[in-house]
Amino acid sequence: MSLRRHLPHYMMIAPFMVLFAAFFLYPIISGFFYSFHDWNGARPPEYVGVANYTKILHSRDFATAMGNLAVYIAITVPLGILVALGLALLVDSFTGRWANFFRNAYFMPVVLPAFLAATIWRWIYAPNFGLLNVALGWFGLGSINFLNNSSTMLYSLIAVDVWVSAGFNMVILLAGLKNIPTELYEAARLDGANKWQQIVHITVPMLAPVLFFVVTYSLISAMQVFDKPWLLTGSSFTSYGGRRNALLFPVMDMMGRAFGGVKFGEAAAYGFLLTLAIVTVTALMFALRSWSARK
Amino acid sequence: MKTLSILRSGAVGLATLAATSFNSMALAQDVALQYWVYSDFAQGDALAMQEEFVKEFTASHPGVTIEIVGKGDDDLTAGQVAGAASGTLPDVFMNSQSVGAQLVEVGALANIYEKWMAMPAEYRAQFDESALNACMPRPSELYCLPYTGFGSLLFRNLTVLEKAGIDPTPPTTWDEWLGQMKKIKEAGFYAVPDQTAVFNSIAEIYATTGSADSWGFNWDTKTTKIDPANMTKVLAKFVELVPLNSGTSRNDQATKDLFISDQLAFHTIGPWVNPTYAEAAKASGLKYDFVLIPGDTAGKTGGIRSYEMVGVAPGPNADVAFEFAAFLTEKAQMARWAKLLSRYNANAAAMADPDVSALPLIRVSVDAAHGAMDVAAPYFIGSVPSCYNSTVIDIASATADGEYTPEAGAAEMITKLNECLAE
Repeated sequence: MSLRRHLPHYMMIAPFMVLFAAFFLYPIISGFFYSFHDWNGARPPEYVGVANYTKILHSRDFATAMGNLAVYIAITVPLGILVALGLALLVDSFTGRWANFFRNAYFMPVVLPAFLAATIWRWIYAPNFGLLNVALGWFGLGSINFLNNSSTMLYSLIAVDVWVSAGFNMVILLAGLKNIPTELYEAARLDGANKWQQIVHITVPMLAPVLFFVVTYSLISAMQVFDKPWLLTGSSFTSYGGRRNALLFPVMDMMGRAFGGVKFGEAAAYGFLLTLAIVTVTALMFALRSWSARK
Repeated sequence: MKTLSILRSGAVGLATLAATSFNSMALAQDVALQYWVYSDFAQGDALAMQEEFVKEFTASHPGVTIEIVGKGDDDLTAGQVAGAASGTLPDVFMNSQSVGAQLVEVGALANIYEKWMAMPAEYRAQFDESALNACMPRPSELYCLPYTGFGSLLFRNLTVLEKAGIDPTPPTTWDEWLGQMKKIKEAGFYAVPDQTAVFNSIAEIYATTGSADSWGFNWDTKTTKIDPANMTKVLAKFVELVPLNSGTSRNDQATKDLFISDQLAFHTIGPWVNPTYAEAAKASGLKYDFVLIPGDTAGKTGGIRSYEMVGVAPGPNADVAFEFAAFLTEKAQMARWAKLLSRYNANAAAMADPDVSALPLIRVSVDAAHGAMDVAAPYFIGSVPSCYNSTVIDIASATADGEYTPEAGAAEMITKLNECLAE
């Protein structure tokens, strides 16, 4: 009786569930299965227990990739959100065509293909004659090989990433800003609050739900960073990560193991370790939010 | 009775013939080949010519249809590896010989030795022997038909040479070339890109001193074949090049832009940059030429060579796929292909065709390929771990930066490469 009553509803969600099962659930389950096997795609998979996981956890490249990722996340997420918030406040202060102009201008890097963005930045970072080195030269500073010096490579990537991601986050934050009632600012002004106090005591608290989304999304994106370091270092499946692996990140390492080393079992285990890390971080974010709301 | 028997036999014969014809027709109609090519070959004039080849082949093979799919380098490899795992391989495909081992390991490449041996001797004799040998890791194993290839060339900006007061006669030895580079720097230009930035440019300079015998891998012992004495000399060369280089890699767009804008004198790279430079010559008056990379002694040349290949996937379409691959790599097609793109290829008979060998880029490329060193041989045996190329780049760069002496750098490099291969 109940099934008959709800049949139309089940029918309506069926297309999504079928596609979800085929293209999401099945790959996850089969990936989990292969993560316990030695498999190169041709031979039948051979069960190896947790050997793939222990091999990855003990590998030097994994440690390097995770170390790079930790520094990258620690800088790029807060910096990217601060820049995006600054841009959103700036654009929000304009009206009419100027608001449209700045919004579109800052959003432009988001729609730029990654390879084009990387080409532009390789030119900007070029030693001796690149835009940045020419600018440094005006201040009497010597040329820096930003993309081939292991002490500057990570920061060079962070600058590119902030440039690209700021536009996307700005649009989200801008939508949040538009939803803050103007009466709150008027009341604050009447009470003598200056611009900074308005931002700290009205804008940021009112933006909290949007900021939560932006922080969570930025964290998840940062943990999966791949295309920008891959392109900036001119990587391929046989050589990736740049000089001294300064731009080696987990997804790059995983792809290299899969398609360069044809070790699909190891790559699947890598994917699960990374997924576990992403799920943990996301769960912590939600827990922090609940704790903060209760408080 | 006899008449009845004849009629009966005739009817059976006709029925068999009809059934056979129907079967072969149905089989032929079912053959739809997927043909993956490099994305450069799937656009403009190159695509038009590939389509022409397909049209000619399908005209002589009724019922066969061929779909051309263009893919970038990494997408080709990833697609073929994933296709082998999922049973969705393209029937005929291009890729580089340097990823051959991965493709053999995942079962993406059919061993076409028997099909090859069944071809007429006249056809088999058309190919460059070393290019063909590179497809044969062991006797009775042939995993590809060699296709386009390159030997690295020394592109020279003649305006920069003139401004630096350098005689445009090509340098014949490394010392002569180095002398020119120093004069170029003194005149305020960049001599070369940073040759330590990518693996292939390191190999190009290694070849000025060493040869294929002391480069690549010994897969039996899992050790590098790099000779420490040769590598010491090569690392010393990189130290000398530091003040002369532009800091950009040979592959950077910035390097090409410097060359086009008359700020860079030399660019060691394959012939694929020539269309860009030829366009710049037309548009902005760039004066350039291309010569062989000089080695340590007169007559020896540096540079690397590598071939793209055409591979055939195992499976029900393998026979017709091989026929198509053989058609593509046959002299008539390779000569047309070479003329269109001015690109060297592995069909020696096509390269000797007077119309082809008259093309300057091909003439120099043939000599360059013959004198150059295979970049990652032997192929089709073991997958080169990523730590191998990274180690070579890291230690060459570190030595150029002064972190190692050339002797210490060479020793460290070889130790680390052996560790990497052993892992």
